[in-house]
Amino acid sequence: MSMKIMRPDTPAEALKLLSEAGPSARFSAGSTALQAEWSLGKPKPSALIDISRFKDLRGIEAHGDLVRIGACETLSAVIGSKLVTDICPLLIEAAQRVGAKTIRHRATLGGNVGWRTGCLLPALLALDTRLELDTESGRTTRALEDWLAEPSAPNLISSVLIPQQDPDTTYGFRKIGLRAAFTPSAIAVAAALGAADGTITSARLAVGGGPVPATRLGAIERELVGQDHAKVEWTSLRDEIADLIPAPSDALRSSAYRKRTGANALIALLASNEAGRPQRTGRTIRPKPEETTLDETVLTRSAGGNRWHVRPDLPAKIAAELTYLTDARREDMLVGATLRLDEPHARIFSVDVREAEALPGVKAVVTHKDIQGDNAFGIVFQDQPALCADKVRYLGDPIAAVAATDRETALKALNLIKVGYEALPVVGDPAQALDGDTEAVHETGNLASTIEIERGDIDSGFAKAAHVIEATYVTPRQMHGFMETEGGYAEPTEDGGLAIFAGGQHGSRDRAQLARILAIPEDKIRVVTSPTGGGFGGKDELTVQPVLAMLALKANAPVRMQWTRSESVIAGTKRNPFTIRMRTACDATGKLLAQEVDVLADGGAYASLGPGVLETANEHACGPYISPSVKTRGRLAYTNNGTGGAFRGFGANQMTFAIECQMDRLAAACGLDPIEMRRRNLRQPGMPGFLGQRVAPSERLFEMLQAAAASPLWQADGADLRPGEFAGVGMAIIYQGNGLGTIPDDEAKSRIVLAPDGKIEVQFGLDEMGQGLLPSIQAAVADRLGCAREDIRPVVGDTLRTPDSGSTTASRGGYVVWKGTELMVPAFADSMLAKAADILGREPEGLQVVAGGIADAASNSQAPLLTFAQLAEQCPPDAPLTAEADFAFPKSDYTRGNARFIFGFGVNLARVAIDRVSGQVRVLDLELHTAAGPVIDLAAYLGQMEGGLVQGLGFTLTEDVLIKDGRFLTTNYDNYFMPTIRDTPDRITNFALEDLDPGDPFGPRGAGEISINAVTPAIANAVADALGQWPTATPFRPEEILTMCEAAE
Amino acid sequence: MSELLSTDTLSIAFTLNGEAIETTAPAEISLTRILRDVLFRTETKIGCEIGRCGACMVLMNGQAINSCLVMAWQVDGAEIITGAGLEKLPITGIVRQALAEESSFQCGYCAPGFVISLVALLSEEPDATNDDLMTALEGNICRCTGYHSILRGAKLAAARVRDFGARTSAAQKTYAPETKAPETAVSEQA
Repeated sequence: MSMKIMRPDTPAEALKLLSEAGPSARFSAGSTALQAEWSLGKPKPSALIDISRFKDLRGIEAHGDLVRIGACETLSAVIGSKLVTDICPLLIEAAQRVGAKTIRHRATLGGNVGWRTGCLLPALLALDTRLELDTESGRTTRALEDWLAEPSAPNLISSVLIPQQDPDTTYGFRKIGLRAAFTPSAIAVAAALGAADGTITSARLAVGGGPVPATRLGAIERELVGQDHAKVEWTSLRDEIADLIPAPSDALRSSAYRKRTGANALIALLASNEAGRPQRTGRTIRPKPEETTLDETVLTRSAGGNRWHVRPDLPAKIAAELTYLTDARREDMLVGATLRLDEPHARIFSVDVREAEALPGVKAVVTHKDIQGDNAFGIVFQDQPALCADKVRYLGDPIAAVAATDRETALKALNLIKVGYEALPVVGDPAQALDGDTEAVHETGNLASTIEIERGDIDSGFAKAAHVIEATYVTPRQMHGFMETEGGYAEPTEDGGLAIFAGGQHGSRDRAQLARILAIPEDKIRVVTSPTGGGFGGKDELTVQPVLAMLALKANAPVRMQWTRSESVIAGTKRNPFTIRMRTACDATGKLLAQEVDVLADGGAYASLGPGVLETANEHACGPYISPSVKTRGRLAYTNNGTGGAFRGFGANQMTFAIECQMDRLAAACGLDPIEMRRRNLRQPGMPGFLGQRVAPSERLFEMLQAAAASPLWQADGADLRPGEFAGVGMAIIYQGNGLGTIPDDEAKSRIVLAPDGKIEVQFGLDEMGQGLLPSIQAAVADRLGCAREDIRPVVGDTLRTPDSGSTTASRGGYVVWKGTELMVPAFADSMLAKAADILGREPEGLQVVAGGIADAASNSQAPLLTFAQLAEQCPPDAPLTAEADFAFPKSDYTRGNARFIFGFGVNLARVAIDRVSGQVRVLDLELHTAAGPVIDLAAYLGQMEGGLVQGLGFTLTEDVLIKDGRFLTTNYDNYFMPTIRDTPDRITNFALEDLDPGDPFGPRGAGEISINAVTPAIANAVADALGQWPTATPFRPEEILTMCEAAE
Repeated sequence: MSELLSTDTLSIAFTLNGEAIETTAPAEISLTRILRDVLFRTETKIGCEIGRCGACMVLMNGQAINSCLVMAWQVDGAEIITGAGLEKLPITGIVRQALAEESSFQCGYCAPGFVISLVALLSEEPDATNDDLMTALEGNICRCTGYHSILRGAKLAAARVRDFGARTSAAQKTYAPETKAPETAVSEQA
């Protein structure tokens, strides 16, 4: 639908246009909020009336003891104004919390007021602000408070008039957001309290922000005036304020929370001594400090010295010169778009595309009828249609797709497609989904997969227990949130096949899946999957590829398509939400006796890797601890709640959250410190794994406990705490299986070639998604071969140019690079030296590979006698020097279930500050010790550690895709809260224990998932250290934490 | 007074990295879409299209802004600099070098936006504090790194810009970017 865009010449004309255009017209100045509003599905206004050009609405100037701020002045201009700083600094304090800096460069003060929901309103009310208005009867001024109370008559705010702050009045503002910065308000409050000789002489209190209507709290103000400040009953006043705050509930925060935190914040502002009470901290018994003898590598640039390298792809990325697969543009490329139904569960009768096909500019429309092969894909089992034929199972399900000459035409064509359908009952709850009577999402029923284990005598285990802890842990539907959404392009090839370029994590498997759908032989399909702008498991399953491929084939032309963020939210896979009920028993000495675990996972509409996630969770059901009796059950339910799949951690981090909190709770019950409790239950090196399987050597769990005991965080002082914060320290052990397990095929090939230009080309069919595959290949090969990193050209993620190395998932990429290198390089080096010897007329034994070429082995100068380019020139182009590797990822011998052989180890410590006003948790420190074998590339490894920690922090504190009955309440980044730079901990410290047992042939362990494994329980245990209670639902609910704070007082 | 429909095709003229651009685009599409889909200038990335991630940041008249929030009808006459057009600003090389040395980014899709934010800040405020750096980067989401590597790069860049500023002012050189932004939004005229 189109809007009118009107650009009047005067404010009077603007006002007239607004009156004529009716209630759905909007003034537009900075227009920073419009797009966000549209993206929430609100209709676009009928008209936008541009008021940004009026001189009269600009300027910041003194008017007597007022400051007049033109309504179209930006918030940045307000913040930068010396005049505003002098007259009303409270406004600046408040404005600095609106949006982010770039938003404030365009957002205007008038806009923040005029939308009636801005979080500046409480501050402006406390400042006794008046508005200068242009109305149909001319210019007038009105108190902001009165204007807010009136129905919205057509008027134009021309300026905001704010009086000089009074030196005898105390002013304060507090915004409680949904994360640390760049956040909407849960509630914002402001206060101005005047006093003389200890008696309160004036009071202006206001609330607002987000869904809270901007309101003055007149009754409280009247009550306060005349009172002796020292004698105010703050506790009862807090309750009165909470009663009076008009706060609605929404999907993110309850009314009760807004009222409580708003009242707390006001009391903290009013009773300035209230917040600063000293806090009792340290409920957890401190471990005995240990002398650590561990030879850990400190992961920093300065400590790394010559192990620190600039990764090869980084300069181009920083200079905005790297072309991602979604960046390809050519004049002959069509643009694709996908049609989805606005029903999460429906039976489809008909899809009529005739009108869309007839629209000029449309080159192809595809539906399920165009599918030549199987209309089904899925990594584990093929339950997901490429284009829905008879049923829609979630809001992301595609029904048809269009390729057109441009995006606007493609979107227009989607609107012309008619779908006949009948809505079906929505399956919105995984527990209910498994009731026999519930509508079936799939014909096979709603139980997508299940897994159970029972061993030992669980009943007698519980019967003998001195302590039993039972709790239910809930984990979120986390979104991968890669910055590059799913997309790319596809084009037909001359041999009747197809080339497709789309971010992914296993090109050869994407090719196999596409071949099945398209009924084209695999060797006629080329799949390019790198570079990818972030994956984290979310690009493991097919995304845009089936539709892109079909459009390109039908249009017989190249087609590009990239999901918008809104599409990515509804259509992309998400982390399966878990409900974990865990009952754990120990004897009086802390020895575990029984572990009972029940997991219910929401699979969403399709399985994808959900069964693997559930099975991995099950394999980690005891963590690294030994329990003589175990009973587990896991169920994955189909629902209409989006669709689930792989995400970094893959079920293990969810389970680790539960176990590691149970261990701390049992430790507290036994009167043990957390390290001693774990030490008494830890598996011994060489024991069989949880499923009874043989596992790899080089276990380092006891060393990690030692590192945890030596952490300085246990003794941290509170120097970095803000007034009114509780502090706590917690730890959790990391135990993460690597690889796909014993049951799936898990093999890899790689190749090394001396290219005609003299570069050593190293080919792996793995993907560079940001994790550092390219520097890892350079590092591994350069170290093994003796050349420089710059001599090496990694080639990755292209089925035409690279062999199948398996998936870039499951922490397996690092091992594959290392092992492939170990196997290829000796033969390759021999062939290079033999060839060089031939050319130079020497013996190969007298030569060695050095940076840049081949040198005399006896020479100290390391100057090449023959450069790699000279060597390459002497090789026939069709027979270059090359070597290959073909190997299996190390596996165990256990095949009754899927079992891991290799594990990564570590320990995570967290130190938190908890705000008693809002219940928000601020992570001050994260300390991570990992034992994952030799570090291939220091900077890449450190990046994986820090990135995983903060992604885990988001999982713990702020991230959840909310869905109610199949409908997404989360739609984009304005209502999904990934950590910002202000949410990241003040300090992150990282250590790696790199050594392996003598003779351990398995090299580096995976670095991809180890860092997200235990950050959640480390933070939860730190909260419990501070408050005495464990949060069990993630992301932590500030409302619950607030209740814990009150109980801890 | 002028009036058009948001779906109308509009003629717009602006400068892009110093080059004069004249093009047409539907009035309601964003500057991000103009750059990527009309001009095929994909160095500016696309993330959320509602101003909440910073991937699409450009300099508009010298200020870092979210190009997804600027509609075609608001672009006419503007001076736009993308992440690939920052060479003319004297500190760009320092910033890029520091970020590379500290291995600041991983997948890199957010990098052009972060670089825009940092170059804008350090051009305007060569003595930026750590808190200034945080404030300038609050609007850029990075999903790979957890931000610490970016902060290390930003701090290194800020320290070097400070040194560079001290040296150049000692040599009586001006610090201002060559392309001086027209003074619009931050003016405080009476």
